[in-house]
Formats: sequence, structure tokens, C-alpha cells
Amino acid sequence: MMISSIDAAPPDDAPARATDAPAISAVSVSKRYGSVTALDRLTLDIRCGEVFGLLGPNGSGKTTFMRLLAGYLLPSAGRLTVAGLDTVCDSLAVRRRIGYVPESAPLYRQMRVGEFLAFMARLRGLPERAVAAAVERVVDQLALGAVVDKPTRALSRGYRQRAALAQALIHDPDILILDEPTNGLDPRQIIEMRELIRSFAGRHTVLMSSHILSEVEKTSDRVAVLLNGRLLGVRAMADTPDLEGWFLSLT
Amino acid sequence: MRTLRILFAKELNATLTSPIGYTVAAVFLLVLGYTFSLTLFVTKVANLQYIFHQMYVLSILLVPVLTMRTFAEERRSETLELLLTTPVRELSVVLAKYAATLTLVIGIFALTLVYAVILDRYGEPDWGPIYAGYLALALHASLLVAVGLLMSSITESQVVAAALSIGAFLMLWFADSVSYLLPPPFDTFAINLSLIGHFKPMVSGSVFLSDIGYFVTASMLALFLTAWGLAQR
Repeated sequence: MMISSIDAAPPDDAPARATDAPAISAVSVSKRYGSVTALDRLTLDIRCGEVFGLLGPNGSGKTTFMRLLAGYLLPSAGRLTVAGLDTVCDSLAVRRRIGYVPESAPLYRQMRVGEFLAFMARLRGLPERAVAAAVERVVDQLALGAVVDKPTRALSRGYRQRAALAQALIHDPDILILDEPTNGLDPRQIIEMRELIRSFAGRHTVLMSSHILSEVEKTSDRVAVLLNGRLLGVRAMADTPDLEGWFLSLT
Repeated sequence: MRTLRILFAKELNATLTSPIGYTVAAVFLLVLGYTFSLTLFVTKVANLQYIFHQMYVLSILLVPVLTMRTFAEERRSETLELLLTTPVRELSVVLAKYAATLTLVIGIFALTLVYAVILDRYGEPDWGPIYAGYLALALHASLLVAVGLLMSSITESQVVAAALSIGAFLMLWFADSVSYLLPPPFDTFAINLSLIGHFKPMVSGSVFLSDIGYFVTASMLALFLTAWGLAQR
């Protein structure tokens, strides 16, 4: 599944790599802001096609890790690769291969939903002839048909989250990075989002963060716990019948 | 190039759908219309020098209103994070915002060409200083927009961005005043830094490459610093 066909990705910018390579690999990655260490020597591999949950309280370094992966931040130390590509040296190529939804699900307020998705498709390098089809595909996939002509500023929180997810899926990326994807959603929307994320398993590698145990428990194949920028442990959900107990024992 | 075109179209659309641009244009043209009528009736001389000087001052006050939102708004609404995690270079983002804002400012300036047409209809203006004056205004606008973008890129508050821009423009305007206090060669440097010192000769019809070079170099430096600042994350 890794590096599936992406219209946006020029084939010649990807170095040859083994197919069994992890989708995401962090080796002793740190991020410091002056004297504050947001992420401390994090080492972690995320396998292709799995849904991986990052669990931790606010300020534990989840968002920093995701921003580093998405190329928004640069690591202070360590090496971070996405689909075998270095996030610093091959930043543009990495950004072609990921779909990223920031925590606040930001959208351009002056645009309509369809216009916004077409804009993001073009920015992600989809050829002009493929834009309309890509927009139609994600509108169907995320049930945005009812709001496609509405300005994004008029959307409810649930639709905003879906539109933000739609822009991340518009170029059919190998890797999805979702920062608190259920944040601010009502119970029904949370269930829908959870099912949606589960449906990505196998087709996309998904890294999602949450500070809610049950969210990670119900969506992830594996889970990592972060606290104060440090990785405390990684477990497969199948081997963790009592996530709450494990989490409490670590923190 | 395609990315730049896509970003430019988005920026221009955002500029043209916002009421800010129209408000600035209205204020600008109202004040200039008043000055033009007054000077024409009083002096009865067919030139636009007064108008050009007024446009110089007004643009220092009004361009920050147009540039303040460019990056500050994107930073505040967190769309900058979205934008910079797509496969686009920081320089493309900066150039697109620069080109879109400059298009608007030059578009507003272009509306004042009607004064030149009126002068031509009822008098015999010397066209040399008028052409040179518009060239000076275009270069002046380029510098103001570039510096305005730089100021907007360092804060998420639009008000702070506008205040910093006006402060920077006034410092550049009066840079030569401080030359009396400085020893050589710093006094010469301060004189050469002055915005008005490079604007005035062109408005009088004297176009020197050194003046054009000043505006072009300063604009490029500000754009480079903006792109560099964005890349330091």
C-alpha cells in the first residue's frame, strides 16, 4: 500500500526504497524551543497500513511530532523519515505523500467547500483534468454533498472536520496525519469519524493523536504514550486488554 | 510556476472579495480628488507633482491596511500551517501574496490616470515627469508592499503588523534626517537609505538607475527576509 499511485507525485523524486520499510520512522528526534524541550529523543517506527494512535495529555508533544512529520517544523536533532524520505532534505516530496489535518481543522473562510477542495487539490499538484474527479471522490467519501456549495465559514464543527479531512485525502496520500480528529465533535459525529478512520486501515497508514483513551482504543492497531515530550511505551491494541490500566501505570 | 499561479489567483480573489481594498481605494481617491481639484483651480498649472507627493504620503498610511492581513490572518486562523504542509515553497507563498497586493495597489494608483487625461484635455502637460512619476509610484508601492508583508509575517496580530509597517515606512522616509548626527561614511548611508530622497528626483522627471536600484533592491531584500523567516520554523 505504501506509495500507491498518487497523481500529484512526480515519480522521479522518490529514491528507491525497500517495500517493507516503515511508513514513518523517527530516530532520536528532539524538538527544542529555547530551553523548552517539546520532544525528547523520540524513537518510533510506524508500519505501513496500520492505524497508529498517539496518546498523551495536552502538552505531551503529540502535535509537535505531527508538525515535524508534516514538515511544518524542523527537528532540533535526530532523523525523521516518512515513506523513506527525510523530512528535512526531501521536505517537498514528503509533503506530496502525506495528508495532514491540524488540530483546529483550519479552512479558508472566504472559499466555498468545493472551491477549497479544488484549491487544495491543485496545490497538492493534481493535474487540472483530475481536480474535478478528485473533489467529487472526497465529497462522496466524506458525505459533503449537502455543503459543497456553502462557504466554509458557515459549516458546523462536524462538517468542518470532514472538509479538513477531505483536503487531506484529495491526493490519495499514503500517509494520513490526523491531529485530534474527534476534537469538538458530538457523540454521533465521533462515531462516524471513528468508523471513517478505521475504514482507512490497510489503504492508508494513519497516525492520529488523542488525549481520550477510548478514541485511541477503538480506532488504533497500535498505540504509543507520550508524556512531557518523551515516549513512555508502545503497544499493540490486541495485546492491551486494559489500556486504561497500562496508561495509568506508565504515567 | 503553476503553484505560483494558483496561489496568486487565491490571493487576488481574497483581496478583491474583502471590503478592505474597496475602502482603501475610496479613501485614497476621495482625498486625491479633493487635492487635484483644489491645486488645479488655485495654481492652474498642468502637472501632477502635488498629486504624486500626496499619493506618496497616502500610500505610506494606507498600504499597511492592505498588507497587514496577508500573513497575520493566515497565522491567526492557522491556515498558514495548512498551506506550508502542502508541497509549496515558502518563496512561492511570499511572491503570490506580494504580486496580488501589488496588483491591487497599482490598480488603485492607475485610477488616478484620469487626472492626467483631464490635464491633457484642458492643458498641455509635460508628459516626461508624469511618466517618471508613475514609475516612481510603482516602485514605491513595490517597496511598501514587500516591507508590509515582512511585518505581517512576524506577528499574528493585524493591528501590530500595520503599526510595525507604518513605523518602518516613517523610519525609511526620515532616514536622511539622522545623517546630521552621524560621522562619515554612516551619514552617506543614512542619506541613501531615505525613501523620499529616491522618490523626489523621479517625480521631477529625473530617472536615475541608482534610484530604481534602491527600490528594487529594498523590495527584494524584504521579500527574501519574509521567505527566510517563514522557513525558520
